[in-house]
Amino acid sequence: MAYLSMGEAHRRITDYLGRFSDAVSSQDVASLKHLLSLSSNSPSLLSLADALNLFQDANRLIKQSDKYSQFAEIVVPLFRCLQNYKLNNLVDAYHAYEKAANAFIQEFRNWDSAWALEALYVIAYEIRVLAERADRELSANGKSPEKLKAAGSYLMKVFGVLAGKGPKRVGALYVTCQLFKIYFKLGTVHLCRSVIRSIETARIFDFEEFPQRDKVTYMYYTGRLEVYNENFTAADQKLSYALAHCNPRSEENIRMILKYLIPVKLSIGILPQDWLLEKYNLVEYRNIVQALKRGDLQLLRSALEEHEDRFLRSGVYLVLEKLELQVYQRLLKKIYIIQKQKDPSKAHQMKLEVIIKALKWLEIDMDLDEVECIVAILIHKNLVKGYFAHKSKVVVLSKQDPFPKLTGKPVNA
Amino acid sequence: MERRQKNQQQQNPRRNPLSSSSSSSSSHSSNRKSRYRPPNRASGDARARHREDSGLDSGDATTWDEPRSLARSIDERASAAGTRSSMGIREQQEQHQHHQDGENARDSREFASAVGTCPYMCPVGEMAQRERLRDLAVFERLHGNPAKTSPELAVKKFCRTISTRHVQLSDIRPLSVLGSTLDYLMNLMNSTPEPFETVHDFIFDRTRSIRQDLSMQDILDKRAIHMYEKMVNFHVISHHKLRLSSSGPNSFNISSLHHLNMEQLAKVLTSLYNLYDLNRDHNSMHKNEPEYRSLYVLLCLNSESLPEGERLSLWFRRVPTPVIKSKEMTFARRILRYFRTDNYKCFFSTIAAEASYLQYCALEPYIDKVRALAVLLINNGGYKLHPYPIAHLSNLLMMERWSHSASHVALRPPWTSREIRFYPPNSRPSIIQRQDMGSMAFQVSKIFAGLSKLLARQIQKRGIFYDHLISSAFR
Repeated sequence: MAYLSMGEAHRRITDYLGRFSDAVSSQDVASLKHLLSLSSNSPSLLSLADALNLFQDANRLIKQSDKYSQFAEIVVPLFRCLQNYKLNNLVDAYHAYEKAANAFIQEFRNWDSAWALEALYVIAYEIRVLAERADRELSANGKSPEKLKAAGSYLMKVFGVLAGKGPKRVGALYVTCQLFKIYFKLGTVHLCRSVIRSIETARIFDFEEFPQRDKVTYMYYTGRLEVYNENFTAADQKLSYALAHCNPRSEENIRMILKYLIPVKLSIGILPQDWLLEKYNLVEYRNIVQALKRGDLQLLRSALEEHEDRFLRSGVYLVLEKLELQVYQRLLKKIYIIQKQKDPSKAHQMKLEVIIKALKWLEIDMDLDEVECIVAILIHKNLVKGYFAHKSKVVVLSKQDPFPKLTGKPVNA
Repeated sequence: MERRQKNQQQQNPRRNPLSSSSSSSSSHSSNRKSRYRPPNRASGDARARHREDSGLDSGDATTWDEPRSLARSIDERASAAGTRSSMGIREQQEQHQHHQDGENARDSREFASAVGTCPYMCPVGEMAQRERLRDLAVFERLHGNPAKTSPELAVKKFCRTISTRHVQLSDIRPLSVLGSTLDYLMNLMNSTPEPFETVHDFIFDRTRSIRQDLSMQDILDKRAIHMYEKMVNFHVISHHKLRLSSSGPNSFNISSLHHLNMEQLAKVLTSLYNLYDLNRDHNSMHKNEPEYRSLYVLLCLNSESLPEGERLSLWFRRVPTPVIKSKEMTFARRILRYFRTDNYKCFFSTIAAEASYLQYCALEPYIDKVRALAVLLINNGGYKLHPYPIAHLSNLLMMERWSHSASHVALRPPWTSREIRFYPPNSRPSIIQRQDMGSMAFQVSKIFAGLSKLLARQIQKRGIFYDHLISSAFR
């Protein structure tokens, strides 16, 4: 490690202070945001941290000059944060950053124009990321992780500041997205509701005004919420929007969107092509798609079992389970086609026994009652047109279009 | 008069329990000798150690956070700025007034590790006061005298507005007393001739007080688990029994009791899950955990029953893998699947084959819904000219073959004694309905209401009741 002299440390500190105050006075957000971006691990910030740890009396420097002391509320805790960050005390670093962030937001309120919005974005991002790391440190030490929740409260405050009539309001969506990330991570997804309400119903916000990137993120998260609530039409809309407007080069983001969009599309009867699954590494859906195409119930069940953990974790398991009904429809349709080839005049009558046999070939044991039950369900949900006769143990299919397609609507109740 | 001795000095509520060690040596009031032990970092935090579940995405939430409509009890605690106390299972006392919550969080820190000294089911002071005020439940009255009770009968009441300033350790029951109190209450449930609503009310309140005492003493270990499980049993069985008595002049009261019970059940369950998480080492699980986790799934089959709550999709994300793979949870997930796909056949046959009594009680409200749905489906898709045989239906739906004289069936005698046709009000009437003089539309739900009793009794006997039903259907 290079030897750091006191003089050099002093120089680095005053250099930073100078850049900070210059950035603010000339409203230079590009410079300002670099000065706040801890997690970028930029060499200048890290070397500043070294300097602070050596010098240990930066506060005096700050208070000495008028130019710097006006930002003391922000910079003093920021320096403390840097010091702790470098020493890997993330909980203390978080505390200090939160303090600096609070002071920043007070100043931000007083600035008329929205020039500092990008700096605010940096702060919002940093606070979340720092909180996550702080929580990891807390957990590792056997304590209760609560910093991320605190970060959420801070961001709600920021949201309140931005939710006004002025030009600053376009920043609200970015903050919303950070909040979503926090709530999803904490599992307190119900808290998203109030923010969503504000964004979607408050008259000050015009959705189209927000930056593209934020709109995509927003639609991704709200789309996911719709998936959990099983509103497939809304989920389709939102996730498709996100997909359509997402940067085609950010493959990871596309993959994340598809991970949720695919189950939604499957539920409304639209199957993805294999190259899509291949390209974005979503091969866990491959067998499911196959099962739907072939009417292979066993394949569906084994695919669900094989990737059970993954699907449960992402929360799409229950959605995929319901695809069973479409698989049954496909199976019956295949039997119908085969019967039609053998004897077109009798094809529309399907003995339940035949269905049982087909299922047996798929290594699934079902008795007559269960098959009849499934047929009743399919008829009710309009996946099959016809009726069943209990006494004769037969399904009589409609002569016209006995297996209606889903045509983009979810299987109805 | 006297009742509770107002604390002359007592603990300063603002004192930080972590820093002080002086409380134990305070010699102010004689009967409030608190054995206050500063929290032991080493042992306490080992319990609270966060467990990395390998099955979970590292990016996902690993702390249990319960849905809002369910136990709003633990949320504040789990996140309360505080350390060990924040892991306490504080029972939410009341509707959440924020200052109340703050106060509770402070209270719990105050009493961390304190041990109560009350030797009876009810503190002496409270007994005396309630005798004076004639505020004694029917079970607490000595020889029916509304102004006299005894230590064997009186049980401490739940107090909403409790605050540390006024509570003495002699008012708090230690763990052993709490255990025997709970056993007493559970026995009461099965042995009293009073109507069930009265018993329920009493036990509801008194168990809440037990939870209060438990949390004030920060009892979070396996013994707490054991007690919480018993309390869940009470609420689940009430869930079932209250429905049975939900007819007649009392039905309005009962349905609100039922709703409150469900709320409380949710809270207790969530507290229990938190206890399981706290007491878990490595990847093991408590032996009853799978069954009690499965109850949540069964209570929430219908996602609309939790308008504000956590969807099951989200809930499953945070269930530990060994629990997911357990027999009871697998059962619950299969029932969920059958319910969501309207598969009435497997729904009933699986319940008959595998449900435990508790699981059945949790499922009960859905059973009639599925029966009604089954009738709807069969009527919708069945061939109208061939009536569906009732004996077969009764087997499928696990129902007793019903007699023709049942007064709650608005139905004229059917065609034959073994067959009947259904025309649930919401379905399209078929041609036959108009021609047939012998049957009318009926309210499906009314028919089935009385018939659940049989199913419940059968499961209670834990026998293979399906066979019994078959034989009774073909009698």
